[in-house]
Amino acid sequence: MTTDQQARPDGRGLRQSMSDLHTWVGLLLGWVLYAMFLTGTVSYFKDELSQWMRPELPAQSGVPDQAVVAQRVADELVALVPGSPQWSLRLPDARNNSVYAFWRTAGAAPGQRGFGEGNFDPATGQTVSSRATLGGDFFYRFHFQFHYMPVVWGRWIAGVAAMFMLVAIVSGVITHKKIFVDFFTFRWGKGQRSWLDAHNALSVFGLPFHAMITYTGLVTLMALYMPWGQQAGIKTAADRQQLNAELSAFIQPGKPSGEKAPLASIEDMVRHAQERWGRDGVGRVTATHPGDAAARVAVARGDGGRVSMSPQYLEFEGTTGKLLAVHEGVGPAAETRGVLYALHLGRFSDLVTRWLYFLVSLAGTAMVGTGLVMWTVKRRQKLPDPARPHVGFHVVERLNIASIAGLSVAMAAFLWANRLLPETLAERANWEIHSFFIVWALTLLHGVLRPAKKAWVEQLWLAAALLALLPMLNAATTQRPFWRSLADGDWVFVGMDLMCWALAALHAVLALRTLRHQPKTRPARKTVNKPAGGAVLREG
Amino acid sequence: MIHLSSFILCLTGFAALAFAMDRPQHDLFGRPLPAPATLALRVGGAVSLLGALGLLVSWQGWGLGLVMFSGHTSLGAGVVHGALIIRQRRAARSN
Repeated sequence: MTTDQQARPDGRGLRQSMSDLHTWVGLLLGWVLYAMFLTGTVSYFKDELSQWMRPELPAQSGVPDQAVVAQRVADELVALVPGSPQWSLRLPDARNNSVYAFWRTAGAAPGQRGFGEGNFDPATGQTVSSRATLGGDFFYRFHFQFHYMPVVWGRWIAGVAAMFMLVAIVSGVITHKKIFVDFFTFRWGKGQRSWLDAHNALSVFGLPFHAMITYTGLVTLMALYMPWGQQAGIKTAADRQQLNAELSAFIQPGKPSGEKAPLASIEDMVRHAQERWGRDGVGRVTATHPGDAAARVAVARGDGGRVSMSPQYLEFEGTTGKLLAVHEGVGPAAETRGVLYALHLGRFSDLVTRWLYFLVSLAGTAMVGTGLVMWTVKRRQKLPDPARPHVGFHVVERLNIASIAGLSVAMAAFLWANRLLPETLAERANWEIHSFFIVWALTLLHGVLRPAKKAWVEQLWLAAALLALLPMLNAATTQRPFWRSLADGDWVFVGMDLMCWALAALHAVLALRTLRHQPKTRPARKTVNKPAGGAVLREG
Repeated sequence: MIHLSSFILCLTGFAALAFAMDRPQHDLFGRPLPAPATLALRVGGAVSLLGALGLLVSWQGWGLGLVMFSGHTSLGAGVVHGALIIRQRRAARSN
């Protein structure tokens, strides 16, 4: 946003236009972007979150032999979904202690869900005996397709929001004329100026990340947003098959022969892949028409250590285990997409890089948050009567409360629901999600009913309390309290508890700063500013 | 270990670049540093950042190396900025 307060005698310059564009593009979908940013940020730890949300599954001390596990779960699936035209397993790895399986159901009636999914225990091959939950995948899916609406609508909304974000980034860079001169500038206690400095710092330090993540986010769904090239170029079934092979190791079922024949050893096929990519290097096993003479099996490489999501897989004849093809490279266009896709998801990361992703993405969340709050800070000073702001101001202010402080409350409530909802509850996994949205709606109601400053403070305190007490709730409701996790070296649970406390502290600091802050209604430069009055959170 | 070394190089690099700027010099030393010192800081900072890049790229190749470098520079710059703000606050309080 512009800092240029001087009137331009020669009309509106480019920078001023960009500033206006930045302000309004940022505001219009800012709340959606904030939610996308925050849920996306926590999704860098979605596998760890899933482990925490299934506390019945023991902590994984090492990655089990993927070949053995693949055979075990494949046997289970043959029994569980006989006649399925296709199933696919994500094998356990350093971050996943369960096997996620997805399958198509044979002969699903129109309007019926034609697929199923489940998590399996690597040790037994059986469906995991843990509470029903979507785990960290809820935040991950919400991040790009939201909820309570058709998936395609959600993805379109996410796409429009990402496009707005891209415009906001480019216009923001043009508006912020002194990127290098003001690189380390922060003017404390200067009201709007301080907010701008904070917004700038959060934006500029993570600029490569913010630009990359927004652009690559659009790339992940580009075939949905811009399908025309593909429609024009890919016309035959053979073309489509070739395209699919360039994009995904998720091989598609062809025609079954109708002749029954059991699958050959999946274990041997995975062994073959392990020789090529290392013991823990296999990601996924997909079978088409298992049990039919036309069965095919694809064993795909995992995502670890390579900045590309382009598929690498071995294709086997299902009934004999004969290696049919080795797919280890794709064309330059597909590889470009593969690299951009991988950059967005960051699944190649080691632990340190994952934390870097998380922290910079959190800065991006704060960038959107400070931008939203700044809209009100900037305008509050100019309100004719601050006690009775105009409707637009009122709406933005209240939406800010619910979408920033309220989202923290709702996300914490989701984790509370995971620990509190009875395991026998019907539709339990869905009720965890309903809890999230019910609480989020309540924060909006609270934000509308309470005076703005009180609403901010109360919700920030509530978020801090929910987060701070979550490890205690975990200790009371599971066999894995903090001290035991620490003694057992269960770093996923230890990390989760520590993270909750750290985030609780962050929310408490924000609550205190907001509480102490005295909003000014005069322009900042005309008032004397005490240090406490220069609180980071000038909202209220 | 390479992560740590790269991060420290980014941190020192950005610290040097910050000390080479007018406002931090004014805040820290109360006066601008002599031109040769500023230049040395600027060059040293840039070399330090390039060192981190070289370290990461030689370790993980260009793909992963650049991604990691981007993360370390963002975090390094953020930490330097945070430290400058804390320093500034302390100075303001003691006055």
